[in-house]
Amino acid sequence: MANGWSIFIGLVVVIAMCLASWFFAPKGENQVLWRSSLILSIVSCYLMWAITFLAQLNPLIEPRRSDLRKEYIHH
Amino acid sequence: MAPARDTPFRSADMSMVQLYLSNEIGREVVNALGELGLVQFRDLNVDLTAFQRAFTQDIRRLDNVERQLRYFHAQMEKAGIPLRKFDLDVDTLAPPTTAEIDELIDRSQSLEQRVSSLNENYEKLKKREVELTEWRCVLREAGGFFDRAHGNVDEIRASADDDDAPLLQDVEHHISAPEVERSFSGMNIGFVAGVIARDRVAAFERILWRTLRGNLYMNQAEISELLIDPANNEPVQKNVFVIFAHGKEILAKIRKISESMGAALYSVDENSDIRRDQVHEVNARLDDVKSVLRNTQQTLEAELTQISRSLSAWMILVSKEKAVYNTLNLFSYDRARRTLIAEGWCPRHDLPLIRSTLQDVTNRAGLSVPSIINEIRTNKKPPTYLKTNKFTEAFQTIVNAYGTATYQEVNPAIPVIVTFPFLFAVMFGDLGHALIMLSAALAMIYWEKPLKKVTFELFAMVYYGRYIALVMAIFSVFTGLIYNDIFSMSMTLFDSSWEWKVPDDYRPGQTVSARIRDDNYRYPFGLDWRWHGAENDLLFTNSYKMKMSIILGWAHMTYSLCFSYINARHFKRPIDVWGNFVPGMIFFQSIFGYLVVCIIYKWSVNWDGTRAPGLLNMLIYMFLQPGFIDVPLYPGQKYVQVALLLIAIIQVPILLFLKPFYLRWEHNRARAKGYRGIGERSSRVSALDEDDDDAAAGRNGRPSVDSAAGEGVAMIAHDLDDDGDDDEAGHGHGDGFEFGEVMIHQVIHTIEFCLNCVSHTASYLRLWALSLAHQQLSAVLWSMTMAIALKGTGIGGAIFLVVVFAAFFCLSCIILIIMEGVSAMLHSLRLAWVESFSKFAEFGGWPFAPFSFKQLLEEADDLKEYMG
Repeated sequence: MANGWSIFIGLVVVIAMCLASWFFAPKGENQVLWRSSLILSIVSCYLMWAITFLAQLNPLIEPRRSDLRKEYIHH
Repeated sequence: MAPARDTPFRSADMSMVQLYLSNEIGREVVNALGELGLVQFRDLNVDLTAFQRAFTQDIRRLDNVERQLRYFHAQMEKAGIPLRKFDLDVDTLAPPTTAEIDELIDRSQSLEQRVSSLNENYEKLKKREVELTEWRCVLREAGGFFDRAHGNVDEIRASADDDDAPLLQDVEHHISAPEVERSFSGMNIGFVAGVIARDRVAAFERILWRTLRGNLYMNQAEISELLIDPANNEPVQKNVFVIFAHGKEILAKIRKISESMGAALYSVDENSDIRRDQVHEVNARLDDVKSVLRNTQQTLEAELTQISRSLSAWMILVSKEKAVYNTLNLFSYDRARRTLIAEGWCPRHDLPLIRSTLQDVTNRAGLSVPSIINEIRTNKKPPTYLKTNKFTEAFQTIVNAYGTATYQEVNPAIPVIVTFPFLFAVMFGDLGHALIMLSAALAMIYWEKPLKKVTFELFAMVYYGRYIALVMAIFSVFTGLIYNDIFSMSMTLFDSSWEWKVPDDYRPGQTVSARIRDDNYRYPFGLDWRWHGAENDLLFTNSYKMKMSIILGWAHMTYSLCFSYINARHFKRPIDVWGNFVPGMIFFQSIFGYLVVCIIYKWSVNWDGTRAPGLLNMLIYMFLQPGFIDVPLYPGQKYVQVALLLIAIIQVPILLFLKPFYLRWEHNRARAKGYRGIGERSSRVSALDEDDDDAAAGRNGRPSVDSAAGEGVAMIAHDLDDDGDDDEAGHGHGDGFEFGEVMIHQVIHTIEFCLNCVSHTASYLRLWALSLAHQQLSAVLWSMTMAIALKGTGIGGAIFLVVVFAAFFCLSCIILIIMEGVSAMLHSLRLAWVESFSKFAEFGGWPFAPFSFKQLLEEADDLKEYMG
């Protein structure tokens, strides 16, 4: 779970959500507003999540600290 | 032609309409249209001065009423009577008939007379009262002088005798002494008594001393009670004075000086019996005056209270009425046929509504002459009318603060509704702060109605942007979760993908590094909490946030650039697609699109053991030493980069020359075919020349839709000739196609675009900088307050914790939410205005300002105090 494929699973989910927002946006003169805002929000959020996930996918450095307590160290 | 409904995506379709109204119902029609608020009237009498217009008389009459109403308001404020404010949301005003307005005018006229006469009386009486009060004081105080002075007459006499009395006179005096002895007049000493303002006493004394060379004896006493100056109703402190002097001339002089110094003189008798009678008389008169005064005041207050109930409504009625006549003054009035001709802009889709309104008014008036509304064709540039609702209003306002979008181009506010709050949130990512902000925004929306009345300016501003705050807060909750920051702490929502590599002989203080626990598991949502507090935390988050800034910036700019394609297609300017959009897009993508691809590629490759390439260096070498690869990212990178660079460079001449040369070719072809523009101009519609076509249209006159309009149309078309240039057009750079100018525009555009691609991408790094600053600032605040307080134990520690928490919370709100929020908002605003809008929006429009009572009342500052 939560490996590299997550990006594509997320993409599928996001595309589904975008389609849903496109088709289920309330009708009327603000339909275009609903569609554009919802899809743009979904895509922006996906982008941010995907960037964060990708940045940690193949880390080049690892966390390091020297103030760990003994009781805590195995958590 | 029935295009789709108006959407917020573009400004509404506008039509120029002509109205033919019978003179009798002009007022009613304008009233009804003002309630609708959908028509912007054009001034058809530009060459007439304000005094020559048809309805100036009516406006002057209403001005007078307005003055009278303001006078009432001033009187009410003076009397301290509260005004019943007019609530536009609750009360409604039926449009008044002419008779009602006339009645209002008469009524306010008579009321003004009544109030002013009452006022006059009141002031007269008040003055009398003050005089009497002063007199009473003089009598009281002067009496004291006399009583004291009488005991000293002998001394005074003695001193007087020393100076100038010959020996014989002394004897004479002694003879008549018994009767005269105890009186001043017997000594030939007169006196003047009066009242003077206390601050003038010193000057008064000095002047008297100098002019009389010291030949006087002045006595004064302060009046303890405050006297009211009837002129301006302010309290003044006054002194009573009695001046004794020798000889009639000197006394006359003293009187004159006192009067010139503004002192009031009162007659006082030195005989104590007469004085007592005087006091009684004064008291009796004072009582009379007071009772009359009270009556007058009561009547006045009753009158004003009566007025206060309807003053606000009257004020609003009069303002509306004035606006109606001001609008009527814009119409062209045909005296012979008693017809008003109006012209203006209105949204095409609302034409039926306007038409039915006109019909209604005409029917109600019972006129047989119909009112006619005609849509007319024009080459004038229509105004930009962007409909808003309460959600989009604030977003539209921040876009309009930058400029008015060109008629029918993509409304820049549409993407801003999401991108502005989202980019804000990227800089403001902290769950705790976001939740506080969210609750504030929700509270403002929940108590929308009552809070609307708050007039405190700073709050009103925040309130106006409550929906922006809401969207910003929602996105900030998301980014806070992504950054895994809540008041600078992290949450352990999921299992970390790291575990500490603990050596067997671990001692506290030893540096420990982590390793990936499971190769198939990565932290699923947001930043791994294991990074929190790590020594190299910043090293990782900086690299991550910087790259994220670049990617988000690239996405934002690409998205914005796509709108320029939509604009070009909508305005049917294919050359803008091929000459601007396509080469621009290729240029941008082959450099920065490539960079983004590289970033993502580098992330998705496992660099275990091998040296990972630096992307910054890669990009720099791509320009400085094409073909040189420092550390390879992927095989064949050299060729790809050189090819991309070449593609990007080739776009520059295309950007530069394609559009101007195409336009010239098109122009020459049209000329070769024998077409001539109206007034020697091309009739082509293009980005650069569409503005100045209207002057030409005017010159030709406008073909009227309705031929029956006849003369009226001709006249209006003529009118348009005159004001076409100075009204909304005002550009007029020469006639015909000027290649040089087009070329210069394109050169500027190209240079700007290419440089901006670089500088704007760099500009998005502010996302990283601000988010780093926010996170570090909240970490510092935590470590300086809560981290210290949480170490305390016992009762003292608990109390300390409570105090420190209060400080922490307040500082969080003030510094981290308000200050940091404002700063993040400004940066996000800049990203919207500069980085995004410059890619697609022209901002060459002029705003639609319809004649609307609602707007009129909202914007009128002098009506604010009448409306609640």
